[in-house]
Amino acid sequence: MDRIWSYGAPASVRQVLEGLQDSRTLAYTTVMTVMDKLHKKGLLRRQPSGRAYLYEPVVSQEAHIAQIMQAALAEGGNRTMTLIHFLERLTPDEHATLDAAIREQLGDR
Amino acid sequence: MTGALSLGLYAVAAGWGLPALIGRLRASPRVAIATWLAGCASVLVAVALAALQPAFPDHAIGDRFAALVAACSSLLAGHALPPTARPLTVAVGLAMVGVLVTRLCWAAVRVCWAARRGRAEHRRAVELVGRPSRELGALVVEHAEPAAYCVPGRRGVVVVTSGALAALDRRQVAAVLAHERAHVDGRHHVLLTAAQVAARVLPWVPLFKATGAAVPGLVELLADDVAAREHDSCVIASALIALARASAPASTLGAGGETAVARVKRLLSPTPPPTRRDRALGALGVAWLLTAPATATLLPSLLSCPVIA
Repeated sequence: MDRIWSYGAPASVRQVLEGLQDSRTLAYTTVMTVMDKLHKKGLLRRQPSGRAYLYEPVVSQEAHIAQIMQAALAEGGNRTMTLIHFLERLTPDEHATLDAAIREQLGDR
Repeated sequence: MTGALSLGLYAVAAGWGLPALIGRLRASPRVAIATWLAGCASVLVAVALAALQPAFPDHAIGDRFAALVAACSSLLAGHALPPTARPLTVAVGLAMVGVLVTRLCWAAVRVCWAARRGRAEHRRAVELVGRPSRELGALVVEHAEPAAYCVPGRRGVVVVTSGALAALDRRQVAAVLAHERAHVDGRHHVLLTAAQVAARVLPWVPLFKATGAAVPGLVELLADDVAAREHDSCVIASALIALARASAPASTLGAGGETAVARVKRLLSPTPPPTRRDRALGALGVAWLLTAPATATLLPSLLSCPVIA
């Protein structure tokens, strides 16, 4: 996905394979299978180009990350037990209360 | 009948009175969590035993279970119930226990299933977009909003956004990741799941609802304690503060306010570690909660046991 997001234009399996060869040795079929899976997951769309497909991402990397993070940081937080945050989102009131508590603590030291 | 009554009274007393008692405990987070969960287990066992007791009032309870088993097996074999068992009370008792067990299993299955699916789904998604950092031992995600969290479970992973890395210095980052690692290694999601199940099984009983509300905060304190073994508690507190300051306030729902304040206070002026006496008392309390209802019901038969008498 990183590779495809960085291209900015539709890419074929061969192009992605060539791009990945620099960092590791992969078979054409491996890359093809993975891209096909990503297509089935809805992350890539493809259009035929000759005998092969040209793949491009459905959403930009930023948008995709934003989607995932939105789900992760949404309300429910630690009570849904999916994730455990270090610090959950605070409302403006909670922010103010925390600030006051901090100042009180630091003032005492 | 008095046995059932006293068990019932105990269940009510514990169900409505324990929250205030536990709130006043000066215990470590670990003991507090164990007490909450043990309290819930205690009430459930007491209610189940109270429901079964009236079915066999003439026998002592130890015999009662044997009598119950005998009654069930004779029922299944098609024989009549033994003359001392009153069919209606047996039926009602079994029905009540059946309902309780069903509620418990249903709540447990629903909560666990949803949590596991959610975690697996999110882990797959975040592994696709995050960059593993061997140095940090976490996945780094390019995202402006500062956040650090873990996806607990067997293949647990700690995730930190680039926004969080920008808001914190190296020591703070290490402390935050240690806190999240503590959640994963300590399998705290099991505790959170248990508390959530408790809150669902008897939501109208204050103890159960309070358990669901108290345990998440206590789990955070527990992770802070674990992280504080390797990192300065002031650094952990400063990380909390820095992250709070760097985050834009949530427009509608926030969930962390109370816990955050309690954590900062605790980290900046830490209480002395529990003494051996405190720990022993805590363990004793939990053990008592877990065994009291069963012991109380077994006592008459134990006392009438020919070996003791």
